[in-house]
Amino acid sequence: MRIFRIIQRRARSLVHRSRADAELQREIEIHIQQLTKEAVAAGMTETEARARAVRNFGPIDPTKEKCRDTRGVNWIQDFTQDLHYGLRILLDSPGFTAIAILTIGLGIGANTAIFSIVDAVLLPSLPYRHSNQLVAMFNVPVKRPDAIAGISYRDFTEYRKQNGVFSEIAGNTFHDLTLTGAGEPIIVNTADVTPEIFPLLNAKPLAGRTLLPEDGKPGAAAVAVVSENLWRSRFGSSSGLVGKSIALDMRSFTVAGILPASFRYPEGAPRQDVWISVLQDPLFGPLASQPRVGLLGAIGRLKPGVPLAKAQAEMDTLSARLAKEFPDEDSGLTIRIKPYWETVIGNVRLALLVLLSAVGLLLLIACANIANLLVSRATTRAREIAVRIALGASRARIVRQLLTESALLALLGGFAGILLAVFAVRTLRPFLPSEIVQISSIHVGGSVLAFALLLSLAAALAFGLAPALIATPSNLQINIKEGSERTGKRGGQHLRNFLVIAEISLAVVLLVAGGLLLRSFALVTSVNPGFDPQNVTEAEVSLPQFQYSTPQQWRAFSNQLLARLDAQPGLRNSALAAPLPMDRQGQANLEFSIVGNAPLPRGKSTSANYQTVSPEYFRVMRIPLMSGRFFSEQDSPSHPKVAIISETLAQRYFPNQDPIGRQMRFGFPPDTNVSREIVGVVGDVRDVALSQKPGPIMYVPFAQAPLYGGEVVVRSSLSASSVAAAIRQAVYSIDKNLPVTDVESFPNALGQSISRERFRTFLLASFSALALILAAIGIFGVVSYSASQRRQEIGIRVALGAQRADVLRLILGQGAKLALLGLGVGIVFAFLLTRLMASMLYGVSPSDPVTFGAVAIILFVVAVTACYIPARRALRVDPLVALRYQ
Amino acid sequence: MPKPSDLLQGTLDLLILRTIARSPLHGWGIAKRIQTLSGDELSVGQGSLYPALHRLENQGWIRAKWEESDLGRPAKIYSLTPQGRKQLERELQSWDRLSSAVRLLIQNA
Repeated sequence: MRIFRIIQRRARSLVHRSRADAELQREIEIHIQQLTKEAVAAGMTETEARARAVRNFGPIDPTKEKCRDTRGVNWIQDFTQDLHYGLRILLDSPGFTAIAILTIGLGIGANTAIFSIVDAVLLPSLPYRHSNQLVAMFNVPVKRPDAIAGISYRDFTEYRKQNGVFSEIAGNTFHDLTLTGAGEPIIVNTADVTPEIFPLLNAKPLAGRTLLPEDGKPGAAAVAVVSENLWRSRFGSSSGLVGKSIALDMRSFTVAGILPASFRYPEGAPRQDVWISVLQDPLFGPLASQPRVGLLGAIGRLKPGVPLAKAQAEMDTLSARLAKEFPDEDSGLTIRIKPYWETVIGNVRLALLVLLSAVGLLLLIACANIANLLVSRATTRAREIAVRIALGASRARIVRQLLTESALLALLGGFAGILLAVFAVRTLRPFLPSEIVQISSIHVGGSVLAFALLLSLAAALAFGLAPALIATPSNLQINIKEGSERTGKRGGQHLRNFLVIAEISLAVVLLVAGGLLLRSFALVTSVNPGFDPQNVTEAEVSLPQFQYSTPQQWRAFSNQLLARLDAQPGLRNSALAAPLPMDRQGQANLEFSIVGNAPLPRGKSTSANYQTVSPEYFRVMRIPLMSGRFFSEQDSPSHPKVAIISETLAQRYFPNQDPIGRQMRFGFPPDTNVSREIVGVVGDVRDVALSQKPGPIMYVPFAQAPLYGGEVVVRSSLSASSVAAAIRQAVYSIDKNLPVTDVESFPNALGQSISRERFRTFLLASFSALALILAAIGIFGVVSYSASQRRQEIGIRVALGAQRADVLRLILGQGAKLALLGLGVGIVFAFLLTRLMASMLYGVSPSDPVTFGAVAIILFVVAVTACYIPARRALRVDPLVALRYQ
Repeated sequence: MPKPSDLLQGTLDLLILRTIARSPLHGWGIAKRIQTLSGDELSVGQGSLYPALHRLENQGWIRAKWEESDLGRPAKIYSLTPQGRKQLERELQSWDRLSSAVRLLIQNA
């Protein structure tokens, strides 16, 4: 019952607050009247008696406050009161409030946006059961552990049979096949797998079944599993698809089942439409019997409780055994295993971590700025607070109120930040590099909101506490008399200077990082790729291999296509090549040997990238001839086999010799051992990435080494879209079942190839711009505050004959000193931190003096400019007014 | 007249409860009665009396009602609740223990 009464009473006092206060007032009044009566009875006059009674009663307001405190619901009232008061204070100075909310909003907004991306990329567990048991496996040369290669089908089978650490291993590779007979012919992304992959990744079909172990045996019937996407888009979600047959590269496959859209492997790979057994693939099926060709990537599931190191040790033993057993193919090779998630996140991880630290720094700067603003205000409010303490407010009460105020600011800022983040994520999504996984799943969700809220509250505590403590110094009298000035000079000024220095040094770190990325991006984009991409359009044509199965057919098709393109006036300048520089499907790296040179020791080999091109290719791409000749129509299959090599190859492998006339042995599988005469040397081309130095390249005439398709390149002054239409028409006029894909202008394709660099450069550059703005606001705030505090001093100086220049020097000097200190600290930190991002840079060293110097100059100029406004204001001080002031 | 000695910390609750145990009383009366009954030895400062009354009321040991009073006008009259009576007994016991302990110490030290 007692509890009930207490609650009732507290609730009543909360609701009837004013009545409770009035009753308290009356109760105290009665007491005072009684005291007065007593005094009158003792012979005093009415007024004297009253005065004495009040004096005897003691301080009335603190007594009332204590009574109120006993009600126990006071904190609610205090809180709403604080909230009201806080809002009023914030509205009273809209400038301060706007800057503060914007600052927090920018900090938190950038953080939340980046965190949303990280949340989607780094944090969610992989969508497979017990994904921490999954590992990826590669073949690597013992000598070069970073050169990752595929595993041959034979070795894969051996590993699968002999190991004791994996519960299952599956292999896969990718190939584009042409699907015909279901609308227009299209290229479908086909995953060539071993059937174990489905149970290994726990794939559950929507309909039918996945591949069974029998489907993976040589000579099994050709069956395919199709994706939900393909089933919907190409087969109209027909319920009868399972059991029907479809045509892939003009060969019939029976549909065994349909996999849901959610199933993808590997994570982050392009969309997959069809899964077939690797042995059924028109290209890889025959290659599977060649133990030299490493065609499979592999994924394994560790047996429960087997640590990675133990599995690696077992695979080392196994690969050593295979190297002994098959020295011709496997010597010098070993197997490396890696947690699967690492390979998924792998190359974006560093970039994301750098971005995360960058936004972290940005938030720190934002917080320092707010702290600064609040400290400045707290010192000016010192007098108000001193008065409130004198009127009976406890120190804890004041701290609570200041904290409420800054929490209010932080929450408003957090709200602004979330709005900003939603906006930013929406705007940024199309710019995200496509290899960042699960782009569609990036959104500002619950966990991200929680993160933002936590951040804003942490920020509130961080920057609310310091001013709250400074604002309640023990010596009240000084505060009441001298107000802001005293505290401003003691605690506040040091803290503010410290904050500004910290802010500037953080901004230096961000600016240097952004500057380095900008510089390396500029270098990458201005780099000469070795060819001229302007006005060149590319298009991929691929021939179904069951219909076009012989090199004669491929050659005939290419001749016909080039002839038709040639017949059109605008498209004279056209060629065929496979692959192209910066090809999305990567480059073909083949081993070669030089006829006449001593054989290389076992386990060592020389390799170069390989391109098969039609004679006009070098002229279309404007790749310069250094010596010898280009290919011509005479380099046909009936004539001697020839090759052209790049300058780097010539210099590296024919040092101080003339390579023209020498012979090299190499070729695209299965013709790996064809000897060709070098007839020309051409300029280097960056074929892997703009940011990668050109490596050795060998070219062969398409007529002598045809492929089942290739990339058409056309140099034309016509618009890209009419060139694309013309290429399509030429292809369809030969065979209307042929798909033409990836038609694009070459400069566009190049832009795509550096989209990741562009994205992170853009982000980091915007962060550093924000940091610069925030730091400028910070130093402006501190200097203008201290200038306004020094009005009197300046007035005296001017009255005593100080010149304008002296006053300017006084104010600017203060800002310059802070800026220089911040710069010094920041440059040291930047020097230590930027080396962590060395692998993201191209052509600049992490301690690039140009970037460091430019950042120092920019920051110093911006800081001093920010101080110029308060300095000007100080100049306008009228000494008379200043002296009278206060 | 010597200044009435300050109240021992924590005894104010006991004094208030004991004072209104006899009959309900208003704040002024409580202060007066404590002073009179203690032969002017004890005086309760108003600064602590009213907060204490409010606290006791919030704890449910006393309750208050505005009633006509001997002051010639309605006043806030405090009276003991059943829980307050029990609390008073507990406080009396602990006071007895404390004072006899102090007496023992003074006599034997």
